[in-house]
Amino acid sequence: MELFEELEIALAREEVWAMLVDAEILSQCITGCETVERISETEYTLLLGTSIGPVRARFTGTIELTDLNPPESYTMLGSGKGGVVGFAKGSAKIRLQDRTVAGKTGTLLSCTLAVSVGGKLAQIGSRLVDVAARKLTTDFLSRFVALAEK
Amino acid sequence: MSIDITLTVNGREINTEVSPETTLVQLLREHLLLTGTHVGCDTSQCGACTVHLDGRAVKSCTVLAVQADGSEVTTIEGIAVAGGLHPMQAAFHQCHGLQCGFCTAGMIMSAIDLVTREDDLDEATIRKGLAGNICRCTGYHNIVKAVQMAAGQMEGRGHE
Amino acid sequence: MSETEISTIGRSVLRKEDHRFITGNGRFTDDINLPGQTYAVFVRSPLPHAEVRAVDTSEAEAAAGVVAVLTGADLAQDELGGLPCGWMITSKDGSEMKQPLHPVMAVDKVNYLGEPVAIVIAETLLEARNAAETVQVDYRELDAVVGADKAQSALQIHAEAPANTCYEWELGEREATEAAFEQASHITSLDLHNNRLIPNAIEPRAAIADYQPGTEELTLYTTSQNPHLARLILAAFVQIAPEHKLRVVSPDVGGGFGSKIMVYSEETATAWACMRIGRPVKWCADRSEAFLADAHGRDHFSHVELALDDEGTFLGLRVKTIANMGAYLSSFASSVPTYLYGTLLAGQYKTPAIYVEVDAVFTNTAPVDAYRGAGRPEASFLIERITTMAAREMDIDPAELRRRNFIQPEDFPYQTPVALEYDTGNYGVSLDKALEMSGYAEFSARQQQSVSSGKLRGIGISCYIEACGIAPSQVAGSLGAGVGLWESGEIRVNPTGNVTVLTGSHSHGQGHETTFAQLVAARFGIPIDDVQVVHGDTARLDFGMGTYGSRSIAVGGSALSVAADKIITKGCKIAAHLMETEAENIDFDQGEFKVSSSNLSKTFQEVAFAAYVPHDYPLDELEPGLTEKAFYDPANFTYPAGCHICEVEIDPDTGCVEIVNFTAVDDFGRIINPMIVEGQVHGGLAQGIGQALLENCVYDDTGQLLTGSYMDYCMPRADDLPSFNVDLTETPCTHNPLGVKGCGEAGAIGSPPAVINAITHAIGIPHMDMPATAEKVWRAIQEKRGA
Repeated sequence: MELFEELEIALAREEVWAMLVDAEILSQCITGCETVERISETEYTLLLGTSIGPVRARFTGTIELTDLNPPESYTMLGSGKGGVVGFAKGSAKIRLQDRTVAGKTGTLLSCTLAVSVGGKLAQIGSRLVDVAARKLTTDFLSRFVALAEK
Repeated sequence: MSIDITLTVNGREINTEVSPETTLVQLLREHLLLTGTHVGCDTSQCGACTVHLDGRAVKSCTVLAVQADGSEVTTIEGIAVAGGLHPMQAAFHQCHGLQCGFCTAGMIMSAIDLVTREDDLDEATIRKGLAGNICRCTGYHNIVKAVQMAAGQMEGRGHE
Repeated sequence: MSETEISTIGRSVLRKEDHRFITGNGRFTDDINLPGQTYAVFVRSPLPHAEVRAVDTSEAEAAAGVVAVLTGADLAQDELGGLPCGWMITSKDGSEMKQPLHPVMAVDKVNYLGEPVAIVIAETLLEARNAAETVQVDYRELDAVVGADKAQSALQIHAEAPANTCYEWELGEREATEAAFEQASHITSLDLHNNRLIPNAIEPRAAIADYQPGTEELTLYTTSQNPHLARLILAAFVQIAPEHKLRVVSPDVGGGFGSKIMVYSEETATAWACMRIGRPVKWCADRSEAFLADAHGRDHFSHVELALDDEGTFLGLRVKTIANMGAYLSSFASSVPTYLYGTLLAGQYKTPAIYVEVDAVFTNTAPVDAYRGAGRPEASFLIERITTMAAREMDIDPAELRRRNFIQPEDFPYQTPVALEYDTGNYGVSLDKALEMSGYAEFSARQQQSVSSGKLRGIGISCYIEACGIAPSQVAGSLGAGVGLWESGEIRVNPTGNVTVLTGSHSHGQGHETTFAQLVAARFGIPIDDVQVVHGDTARLDFGMGTYGSRSIAVGGSALSVAADKIITKGCKIAAHLMETEAENIDFDQGEFKVSSSNLSKTFQEVAFAAYVPHDYPLDELEPGLTEKAFYDPANFTYPAGCHICEVEIDPDTGCVEIVNFTAVDDFGRIINPMIVEGQVHGGLAQGIGQALLENCVYDDTGQLLTGSYMDYCMPRADDLPSFNVDLTETPCTHNPLGVKGCGEAGAIGSPPAVINAITHAIGIPHMDMPATAEKVWRAIQEKRGA
């Protein structure tokens, strides 16, 4: 499954970038995220509770930021294990471009997301993964914008 | 944590304690040893676990035991009339409406509910009405015949 | 009709077994509870292909209620064997098939999604489930091999199977077939995928094991179609317990359709774990596990070519098939795409030259094995599809093309070019009857009517053959079978004159308790209620081969017939003694031993009593008692055949296919109970139509199962199917004492090509792979209109 989203933020690229590598900000933007811990410059572990269709699970996961090219782009690689319900893996390619927003220098954030799931999640919930991933992504982006423009 | 519930099962009053996650079918099969009701899936699709809750067919794998508190439950073990079979049971036998017998309890309970609810039972209505119960053996042909036969024999049918 | 009526052969006697099921008194494996029982839950691989680097059970072992957590390594420590495959196939180069070890639980590598890695045993099911979640398995993920068609060029799964190839088998005459194609004036060819199915007996597999340390006896109650075979495999190959200390009981079993023939990991691990912990262990699959780990069916990729002359006479048939075995060879997997498939490719036709090649391949999917029809539906689909395609290409009526090529009644016994010798049949009669019943001649009028209301209408014919009761044992053995293929039957006439019948066949819906009772009651002239049929318990009967391949009546019924003969022979001797004459002078008829040309007689009951109370009895020449058994090994397969005709109406706006008429005319030889036979046909048709229209097992590219519940795997429901138009013809089998053939699988074998022939007819396209879902049909219609 792949999806593409983009949106404008009334904040300069450097400022958006700083938020994008801030574990605290990220955790506030991920629906169901209970904890985020930074374990290195580019690696985080997190605990996430979510439900996909009839399958409800707590995922323990890792997020790794790769291909870092500040303040322009990175790829966020995520993988989570949900115990008996299976696992989910995904990558989000984030790209920032200058964009005039409300007459000021702002940023266009674009995000290409790819998700795959396995185990019971695929067996029971595969039809619903698209919807869940889309919701997770749009929630993430709208919260991110809200925090950015606060 | 246990919750105290009281319900009537096949005419007998039951007072028991169950944990909150206990399903009605677990209560029936494991606590009350009424093993005539079966479990054939885990997504509420197959209908093998169908019983009557206050006169209506329900899939007992998706009803919590605590939801049945104060209710009247009827299972396959409780439908025979004094001295003989329920007309639906008899019709399944007469029409060879069962083979392995695993889905049969749920099928009979759904069929009784269908005949009780519907006045005009043509073949298409019966087939639609039983679409929530999966049978892998019979191809449904003889089940449909059995429901038609029983519908003609069940007294007092019609809207409740 | 009274159920105590005396001669009941050929009558629709109502089933003796019904009462317990319609009143909720059946006894299925999960209904059995033993004192002190524990509950097992399996930890399964969420990956289809991975190295297992470590299994950490410490948290699970410490969890509430947990009794034990056992892994594949524990199994290996106990030196348990792997799960064997019972049929050795030899490749065309003379080499033996590759049979990689099939461990009961994975040790260092998992090869299919859902493969068991550990078994968690706890005081309650919930505790076992919760603990299973905490078992940590460290996997190193590998690329998964998913589609059989691409397996031979993909990453190698097993070290012993290069190119993921299990065997490369052939049958028939390659050169003669090449020559036939050179002479052909018309060649029809087709590539197809016979869709993968998941059997889905509504009772999930289950097991409960009990070990008595005092006597060292292990009892395994389980959902098996063949408890003796399960015992043999568990004792001889897996070596859980010696055969004489292992009892396998199959109580009421809720459908099998082939999927309960096999000896699986879970039942085996349950039995072993019970001995390890010294307490009863119960395991019952949930439906999700059934989807993952029951042996699947079909999954063939085939290329087929038919050569004809300009009159439409078949000259040759050439087939190349790639058959998916899944990750390991299941119990009889290797025989399905070979001896149950290639040997059937003559169909009902006098095709003089046939050549078939089958490559069996390993993939990272659940093992594939017998599912209703096992090999024969795949053969029948291919023959009946290509025949109809050829007829349409040559503008010959499909019924007429079939008729031109039928093996004629005077040709029997008929030796096909693919090993089998058909004993008898009359294919034209079934075709004629089906054409008449289906109103074939008036089809175009009905088609006009559909067209005028904006619908499409099509009709499809399928003239299938199948082979039941694989036999004889010596021939099967020479072809690689690891077991005998006889059946046992025992008849115990009790002192009071009623009868206990023990059969090695197993009933899981087929109604043996009625049919076999009818058979014996009719032979002895006693009421059917005086006959009780016992099956499914290794402790109660000698040995049995079980039920699969529509073999019960032809092999198990014949064994009982031979045992009944022995009872009557002994009874005549006893009666002769009682009436002071010679046995040659005794006629047994309708329950009475009569002295010929006199009015002296003894009843069946009197003779039985004399046998057990031998006060006036020829003890010097005859043992007391009246119990006889027979082991019957058939001389040949039986060959049921028939004609199925499907008529469909399609809504072009939605692609929805409605089966408006389905006619099945089958020749099963002599019939004991027409009601039960028709019921078997109905069920088979539902599964065949399910395959044609709805059912499909889908793994995604990474090997994840996308059709793993009833929400995504489309089972035929009551409103998906029509009522069926069913009738019979009868040419008795020539080589068994009953003249019977077997009826369990025919419906699933004959119907899929009839459905697809009808749909392709309606749309006007050459072929559509199954399942013909509404979406696929709609797209085909759009494409056709656009073209």
